Amino acid sequence: MRISDLLRMGLKNLFRRKVRTILTVLGVVIGCLFIIITISIGHGMDRSFEKQVKEYGSLTTITIDTYGAIYDDNGNWVGGQEQKLTKDLVEQIRAMDHVRAVTPVIYIYGRYISGKYESGANIMVMDRSVFEAFEFPELMFGEYPNDEDNSTIVFGYNQPWEFYESNPTSWMNVKYKQVDLQKDKIFFKFDEWRYQRNPRRKEFMLPLTNVAKMVETKAEYDYNAYMDLEYFEKIYMQYCNTLTLDDRKKAMKELDEYQQIMLNVDNIDHVEEVQDKIKEMGYQSNSLMQYLKPTIEASKTLQLIFLFLGAVSMFVSAISIANTMVMSIYERTKEIGIMKVLGCVVKDIRMLFLYEAGMIGFIGGVIGVGFSYLASYLINKYGKPLFGALVNRGGSYLGGTEVAEVSYSIIPLYLPLLGLGISVVVGLLSGYFPARRATKISAIEAIRTEN
Amino acid sequence: MLKQSRNNKSENIIEVKNARKIYRMGKEKIVAVDDVSFNVKRGEFLCLYGASGSGKSTLLNLMAGIEKLTAGQIMIKGHNIQRMSERGLAKFRQNTLGFVFQSYNLLNSMTALENVELPLVFKHMNRKKRRRLARQMLINVGLGDRLKHKPTEMSGGQQQRVGIARAFVSNPEIVFADEPTGNLDSKTSREVMDLIKGMAKANHQTIVMVTHDKDLAMYADRIIHIRDGRIEKIVDQLAGNTAETAETAEAGGPEENTGQTEQGLEALPAHNPG
Repeated sequence: MRISDLLRMGLKNLFRRKVRTILTVLGVVIGCLFIIITISIGHGMDRSFEKQVKEYGSLTTITIDTYGAIYDDNGNWVGGQEQKLTKDLVEQIRAMDHVRAVTPVIYIYGRYISGKYESGANIMVMDRSVFEAFEFPELMFGEYPNDEDNSTIVFGYNQPWEFYESNPTSWMNVKYKQVDLQKDKIFFKFDEWRYQRNPRRKEFMLPLTNVAKMVETKAEYDYNAYMDLEYFEKIYMQYCNTLTLDDRKKAMKELDEYQQIMLNVDNIDHVEEVQDKIKEMGYQSNSLMQYLKPTIEASKTLQLIFLFLGAVSMFVSAISIANTMVMSIYERTKEIGIMKVLGCVVKDIRMLFLYEAGMIGFIGGVIGVGFSYLASYLINKYGKPLFGALVNRGGSYLGGTEVAEVSYSIIPLYLPLLGLGISVVVGLLSGYFPARRATKISAIEAIRTEN
Repeated sequence: MLKQSRNNKSENIIEVKNARKIYRMGKEKIVAVDDVSFNVKRGEFLCLYGASGSGKSTLLNLMAGIEKLTAGQIMIKGHNIQRMSERGLAKFRQNTLGFVFQSYNLLNSMTALENVELPLVFKHMNRKKRRRLARQMLINVGLGDRLKHKPTEMSGGQQQRVGIARAFVSNPEIVFADEPTGNLDSKTSREVMDLIKGMAKANHQTIVMVTHDKDLAMYADRIIHIRDGRIEKIVDQLAGNTAETAETAEAGGPEENTGQTEQGLEALPAHNPG
């Protein structure tokens, strides 16, 4: 038989048994729909996951704080411990496998002064070598501290905060000022209340002459300023010299211990491993992975359930296709016999039945793809109560802002093709044995069959 | 194309040698065809005549390659059809054999035209050409106004005409007819028989027909009486003599009728059953 005749005859046969064909197709539609939606939700979650990661920092970053909270296996808080973060510890961590970069972190607080105006200052002090390894944002102007010039202070997009009058004439009417980092003269002062100044010394005032500013990231970078550790130690010594003898010693001691250690691991899969090693050394550490892990796992579980449902319904539809084809062969036994006697080669009979089964799969696949686009649209529009919790959970831990436009289900171009392919393959596979059976029908018996 | 070989009147197109068919029903053996030998000549109208259960239908099925022999051999055009592959047999049927059945065996889902087209579909003939051939064939059998009718919308006689059109549409060298009028009344039977014989003679085609009806058997050039799976006697209608053995003298010959067309059907000599 010619291909065109085969197609025409197959379609005609399907059309002849309309209701049965429709019911069988329906099974394929549901299976195809489930599979496509499952994968599309997977893509949606991946996407929102990436978004979150961008917002809350790198997933490969681990931090160790001076106070380490201890959690049990279920993530419940069971206690805490004071942790001494020393230079030795930094070096020990630097020597560990998979650690790409490590830096001590010191948070310093003080004020920026510009003429009559001032503003709160919070600066993170880090080793200048890690800015690149930690993938810090690009700069609008200036440069990150480097070996030639380590004196740069890098401001986040929203830094410094708005300046206000230091000694307003009236507290009811405080004046504010927009300060231009590049033009206005600005000084940095350490908080005065911590240590007592030697009255015979001049107050320490650091002029901010070398500044840089980051582009907007919508992440925590926007609300911090950054300084090189070496440069900080230099100015801190100058600052200490202005203090009273007692406080100078106390202040100097602060340099021996850091407030935080940050490190970057080469691969997301090694985060837990490195954290475990740090734990063995007796330190508690934190990473974004810890927070996101339950989310990832929950979403994976949900996807697995959907995929299972998809596989089951595909399997059921395969059975139903096979059943339809077997029924159809019983009904058409005589027809097959006549065709054989009239000189139809066995291959054509097999092809005819395979084609009919494949066609059921194909039609089901096409409709399934259509429905899955519709379902995807509905999920994105109304699916928030069900999927919102999963997608945004990571955010709520970290107090991030609500993501305005979230797609819970994303259908990339390959997905409809995959769904269609699976449907057709299921059709062909489940049609294979019935088709083989059709070819085995003996012509003489088929002709004798009454129907 | 085959005219020359067809004109060779002494050529045996079918040779049945010691054909034997045994059915096994549990422990019992039923001998349906018992050591039968005979030849069919090109262009001959042969009738296998016998009561029901005599094994004549089985013999036909064996000759058509629908059933397998237990012993012996059947040669058609020099091919041992029992040795053919399934595919080879299908191709052979497409090109050489036509079938007319008692119960018509039309596909009820298809129109008359599509039914007649079917053998040509299997031969990979293009749609336009086979449509034309099938239409012409239906016109020839007098169903020019029934092309789009389904078998269920036609009378038995009309259905059998469709069956005949289907059997002859690919211009086969041999047509097997199994009780072609078994389900028809006597008047329609005669029409159908005239049609079959007329078409076969017009194209010098060989016909092997099975019947239990003596009147119908008389249409044949030669009648082989079958009883209990054996040849009882062979009657050569054209020569008018009766032989007890399978070997029959070639007499008369089908040439007498080769010039005949369908139009001359009514004028066929009425064979008087002796």
